Amino acid sequence: MEGNYGEDEEFGFARNYFIAKELGGSGKKSSRKLSDIELVDEQELRAAARSIESKHEKEIGSLLNSYKSLYPKWVFELRCGFGLLMYGFGSKKALIEDFASTALTECAVLVINGYLQSINIKQAVTAIAEALWDQLKTRRTPSGDFPKVQQPFNSRSMDDLLAFMDGSHSEKNDCFVCVVIHNIDGPGLRDSDTQQYLARVAACSHIRMVASIDHVNAPLLWDKKMVHTQFNWCWYHVPTFVPYKAEGIFYPLILAHGGTAQSAKTAAIVLQSLTPNAQSVFKVLAEHQLAHPDEEGMPVNNLYSICRERFLVSSQITLNSHLTEFKDHELIKTRRHSDGQDCLYIPLATEALEKLLQDISQ
Amino acid sequence: MATPDHAENDLQPFFVLHKALVQKSERKSSGSRKIRRRIELSPISAKNAEKMEIGTGEERDDHHYEHLRMEAFNFVWSKIESTIKDVLRNINLNVFNEIHRWVCESFDAIKSCGTTLTKATHSYPIVTDATFRQLFTGLVFTKNMEFVDDLMTFEELGLHLKSHGCHVANLSSIDFSANNGIGGCLRSLLRQFLMVTLDAADISILASWYSDQGNYNKPVVVIIDDMERCCGSVLSDFILMLSEWAVKVPVILIMGVATTLDAPRNILPSNVLQHLHVSKFLLGSPSERMDAIVEAVLVRLCSGFCVGYKVAAFMRNYFLRQDGTLTSFIRALKIACVEHFSSEPLSFMLKALFVEENSQGFWSEEHALFPEEMLKYAFDLPSCRRNNTEERTGENLAHDLSELKRLQKCWSTTVLCLYEAGKYNKIQLLDLFCEAVVPCLGNSTASNHHLGSGISSSSDHSIHHQYLISEKCSFICQAIRKVRDLPVVLLYQLLKSWEKLTEDVIEIHDKVKELQSLLKFENGKSLKQDLTNIPKRHTSRSHLNMDKDSKVLNEKAARLMETMVRDYMQPVECIPFHEIVCFKNVDKLQSALMGDPRRRIQLDLLEFQKILLCSCCSNSSKAILPSMHDTSILYTLAQEHGDLINLHDWYQSFKSTVFQPSTKGKHKLKQSPAKKRKDTNESQNQSEASIQVRFCRAVTELQITGLLRMPSKRRPDYVQRVAFGL
Repeated sequence: MEGNYGEDEEFGFARNYFIAKELGGSGKKSSRKLSDIELVDEQELRAAARSIESKHEKEIGSLLNSYKSLYPKWVFELRCGFGLLMYGFGSKKALIEDFASTALTECAVLVINGYLQSINIKQAVTAIAEALWDQLKTRRTPSGDFPKVQQPFNSRSMDDLLAFMDGSHSEKNDCFVCVVIHNIDGPGLRDSDTQQYLARVAACSHIRMVASIDHVNAPLLWDKKMVHTQFNWCWYHVPTFVPYKAEGIFYPLILAHGGTAQSAKTAAIVLQSLTPNAQSVFKVLAEHQLAHPDEEGMPVNNLYSICRERFLVSSQITLNSHLTEFKDHELIKTRRHSDGQDCLYIPLATEALEKLLQDISQ
Repeated sequence: MATPDHAENDLQPFFVLHKALVQKSERKSSGSRKIRRRIELSPISAKNAEKMEIGTGEERDDHHYEHLRMEAFNFVWSKIESTIKDVLRNINLNVFNEIHRWVCESFDAIKSCGTTLTKATHSYPIVTDATFRQLFTGLVFTKNMEFVDDLMTFEELGLHLKSHGCHVANLSSIDFSANNGIGGCLRSLLRQFLMVTLDAADISILASWYSDQGNYNKPVVVIIDDMERCCGSVLSDFILMLSEWAVKVPVILIMGVATTLDAPRNILPSNVLQHLHVSKFLLGSPSERMDAIVEAVLVRLCSGFCVGYKVAAFMRNYFLRQDGTLTSFIRALKIACVEHFSSEPLSFMLKALFVEENSQGFWSEEHALFPEEMLKYAFDLPSCRRNNTEERTGENLAHDLSELKRLQKCWSTTVLCLYEAGKYNKIQLLDLFCEAVVPCLGNSTASNHHLGSGISSSSDHSIHHQYLISEKCSFICQAIRKVRDLPVVLLYQLLKSWEKLTEDVIEIHDKVKELQSLLKFENGKSLKQDLTNIPKRHTSRSHLNMDKDSKVLNEKAARLMETMVRDYMQPVECIPFHEIVCFKNVDKLQSALMGDPRRRIQLDLLEFQKILLCSCCSNSSKAILPSMHDTSILYTLAQEHGDLINLHDWYQSFKSTVFQPSTKGKHKLKQSPAKKRKDTNESQNQSEASIQVRFCRAVTELQITGLLRMPSKRRPDYVQRVAFGL
């Protein structure tokens, strides 16, 4: 019965995909451009973002309140050794932190903001170990012999830290540190090594984990070992419809991004920080590109000879150092010319390039 | 909810939300100690304790009962867990012993090969003889692609060998990753053998450790649990290194292999393979282990905790069709257990019910303390409401609970007997179990069973009979049919096993004995016949006779089985008060066991009214209303596009959706011409900005959920849809 259902579902997926594909390719694909919209300046957009009015505030409030009745159950499950995994549309940051600060007062709670771009997992684990150490110290019974810390935590290896957190330091089983991870599927934590470390942390006897996911494919991050033996998730579907304020902070606004004005502006900023000679080299390339819009780019040799003529560079080496700088800032790119030669081009539209030349010659 | 300092914390990679509240926790822990002490005390002094604590208020009571449930869970689960461990260990014991014997033999072979002691004084072993460089390697075939299930097996194997005096290190594929190279596995080895972590891992350290005092005369075993997942080059380097040092550190390798014999050949190059001296071992198959676990935990009810038929069916399907690992089955069981103890108020009684051998006595003492509302709750359980005639006293409750225990005993005995018969037909216990918990009877039978001692009424009979007939191909029927077809020798064996199984249920036991004596008699006769006939070549007639006789016996045994199924196999869900011991909420289990983010998040967006329950958007028609959540509007609009969405079109339709009420606004403006035009222009501009930013935010949110792929350089004006259909 269920198997059939699953097959139907699978079939449905495929069918939907091909229908969608057909819709896209059936000639009525719209070719209108984003630039046809009168786009508001990014500054103005950001300002408007601050004053955005929210819908359904009352309903969202009561929805969040309704989850409070689940708190005791969540605590029960944490104490039974499970991890909690929250999913559903809407930011769950406030919900989880409210849960942690009202229902988990008996243990230390450490929050990891997985939605940030880069997170040093070692530092985070060190902080967890320190929190656990603090907690164990305060609960220490006078009779119990307590292991001395030989080394400060931040100089210990990951394996040592994990061993410390997994050790049996307390006769009671309920001394644990709760690790809250917002967006365990976030960009800063998405790589497999980090996930392996997180799984090993979650498996430690003195650690409980409460995490949230937002990406529909997040479960693909984990294999069966991680899911069943390490994270040991209890899933909870808790949609909140709260806007992703913190989580979306580093995402570019789609209507402000990619406009010609934008990329020309950033290019100008980069160029202005370079030496006048470097700027002039760039100008040579830009002028060539404007003069020959249909060509694939400018061969390096040509660029070198012109720059030498104008006393901009003295050798191939100095030119190369300029070019490396340009490439690092994505001001220029190379591609293979049809005759096999490598040639350079600036990845900007003609009008953007013109504007850029104006900007830097001011 | 958010406090002001949170904004700062939002940008920290991590921060401490709060530390443990010391005082509170101390107070609480002392409280819990008190409770625990009270429970451990005899019932009489417990009564005093109860008296002392009267008047502490309801909250205190709640906390008290929650604590009791927690304890009951810990008790029950540790019982189940240890049972599972024992079961698995017993299954593996033979293989483990075999492996240990092989380890000892290999070690002796290595020792006899060279006087390692003298060689050990050299700083680097100079090996000339090729046989020295052979590495004794045991390949353990797990017969199971799911290596998760075998993690524990290899851990147990390590403990087993350790307890028999070997040095053991357990490595896994993580230690053999290409990133860490050979240093990773060496570090892990040193960690486990020397208990130190060194940055510069070197095998010579291991060698000097091995030549140290006490370590010398023991074999060194390295277990790699999932050989196929290791990085091939690192593993080959590791093997080459070990073989080079084989004289100084006689390492014996054990590797888990999930696939076939040629797995090592697929991973390792031939120059490495020639260093391996391979032996093979076989582990039990997953279904074998599954049946053993189901028998111990769910049929023999080692802890008293049991599951309802829907839950059983779900778990079976989950195992057979979705996950296929024993680990996940056990995890599902644990979640069921947690759900039961966290949601069923009376579940804490389970511990007392199954700890006390003489539960009747315990409960008659305890029931006096039982609060009124608990009793009321107990007698209001759906399973109990069916027979309202009973007086609502603790005594009756205690009686019914012991009756429940007795009926469960009968049930499990019957299922085990069925299983014994089904074994000859290769029926799996899991299938049989799922069928045996189905409450096929109406309410009436439950009470009948409850009042009567097990002699069923005619209606009961007919319903049961119907069930047996309607499901002709059911596993229970198959098992019974098999009893009819069994040859005499097997029937004899079967009755013997039944005799053992039914020891606790006297009524059945007697009948089995009766049958056995009949069979012995028959058997004796036939044996005699056989003896006399063999030299003469027995006539076909006597053979026929014998057949007929045994057929009668088979029929009798099958009848007995049928009677047992009819009279004794009462599914738990038909017994009053079963809610206390039985978990039935399959939806809860399913949702906690595996989330379905892909489907659910899309549903959240498309049907958000069902969750928010707002009055403004609960329109029955599928029209998109401007009052809807922005991201919902955008995602609903996206459904109309193909796999690529033109941003311009999408934005325009979003704008027109959102602007629907603004037509009214314009109307108003017309009515009040006093307003300056400049003003309207400005507000237009502003609303344009606000709509654009709302659009941006909605796109970002869809991007966070992974339902959209952002424009690429090649297609700057299109976003790509990722999910098609739920």
